[in-house]
Amino acid sequence: MSRQDLSPGTIFRMPLVLALLSLTGLVGALLADGVWDWIGTALLATIIVTIAWARLGRRR
Amino acid sequence: MKTRTLRAWSWVHKWSSLVSTGFLLMLCLTGLPLVFSDELNHALLDEVWTPADPDGAGLNLDQVLAVALSRHPGDVPAFMSFDEDRPVVNVTSRAPDAPAGQFNFQPIDQTSGEPAPLVAGHPVIEFLLQLHTDMFLGLPGMLFLGLMGLLLIVAVVSGVVLYAPFMRRLPFGTLRLDKAARTRWLDWHNLLGIVTVAWVLVVGTTGVVNTLATPILAYWKDTALAELTAAHDAPAAPGEWASLDAAVDRARAALPGRTLQFVAFPGTEFSTDHHYAVFLHGDTPLTTHLTTPALIDVRSGQLAAVAPSPWYVKALSLSQPLHFGDYGGLGLKIVWALLDLATIVILGSGLYLWLTRRRRAS
Repeated sequence: MSRQDLSPGTIFRMPLVLALLSLTGLVGALLADGVWDWIGTALLATIIVTIAWARLGRRR
Repeated sequence: MKTRTLRAWSWVHKWSSLVSTGFLLMLCLTGLPLVFSDELNHALLDEVWTPADPDGAGLNLDQVLAVALSRHPGDVPAFMSFDEDRPVVNVTSRAPDAPAGQFNFQPIDQTSGEPAPLVAGHPVIEFLLQLHTDMFLGLPGMLFLGLMGLLLIVAVVSGVVLYAPFMRRLPFGTLRLDKAARTRWLDWHNLLGIVTVAWVLVVGTTGVVNTLATPILAYWKDTALAELTAAHDAPAAPGEWASLDAAVDRARAALPGRTLQFVAFPGTEFSTDHHYAVFLHGDTPLTTHLTTPALIDVRSGQLAAVAPSPWYVKALSLSQPLHFGDYGGLGLKIVWALLDLATIVILGSGLYLWLTRRRRAS
């Protein structure tokens, strides 16, 4: 690994956070109704928000 | 990661993806409208309807069944289900010599016995569902699609492994939109693939479990329900069947506080040859998806057993909402559809990356 290489922790930090948020959303909306449907939807929608952020931010 | 290891993972990712991509694209495309099947059925089929005699005593379930079978003489009943928001009983029957999967479906106004309009099962939606479920090939088609689902899981896992070396010098979320088309699509493929990984694994795994519905139910019948059927030799003829209405009442009494979902008649995959299987579900968000069958001896009409579902039947029951995303309202469905579209882009970009690489190599 050269000096510029990112560590696996850095590479996978955000994907791991997104995976945890989306799984919480998927299960939360299944286990409870009402407000949890909205919370679950919002948590799963963090994926869409991230894609939009990457696209609009045009990160290089 | 050593070059050799990287090549091995790359090989796994390439072939697990290539073999399954065409079928996964079909599943994503047919799955997209199926996410909104309730809304589409509502829009395509909805018509103003009121029951003929809303204040009348109504027909009991035996009478409803008799009316349904009189419209299809010679049919044997398979299932009976109940609308939640109108007094309609849905009777599914089939001719004894009909090909597998060919049924007659009749919604019946329980207040009068007259036919009620369909609110589900529009032919276009049914076509898409059948294509999505088994490609009109029955069990072999289902199992084949299950295999494609397993390949998807392998492709996702190998894709995650390959993500690290590709991204070792790029910050998360990088999209090099000013670079060549191949680089742009590689970045889109990596970004969409890694952010949707948990959702794709859930939908893929639950899809695989759903393809195993027939063997799972057959195993359940052969093991957990085997004792109940051992005492009988031959199936009871429909003329020997006890009252269905009384059977449902007994099932309700055995499982108080639960809601009637459907009845499976003897000889169907959800019952034995000797029982009405009366399925009731709970009333919490989770237990709404979990049904418990009360088995009523079809000859005597007595309760034979309440058969709590084993873990593998519960897994099958929970796999259905987690696969179709129809449990959290319209907002969740919209997000589900967007993630489905993202998966289509992942599949398409993967195919593009493979084709351009081949072209370059040649």
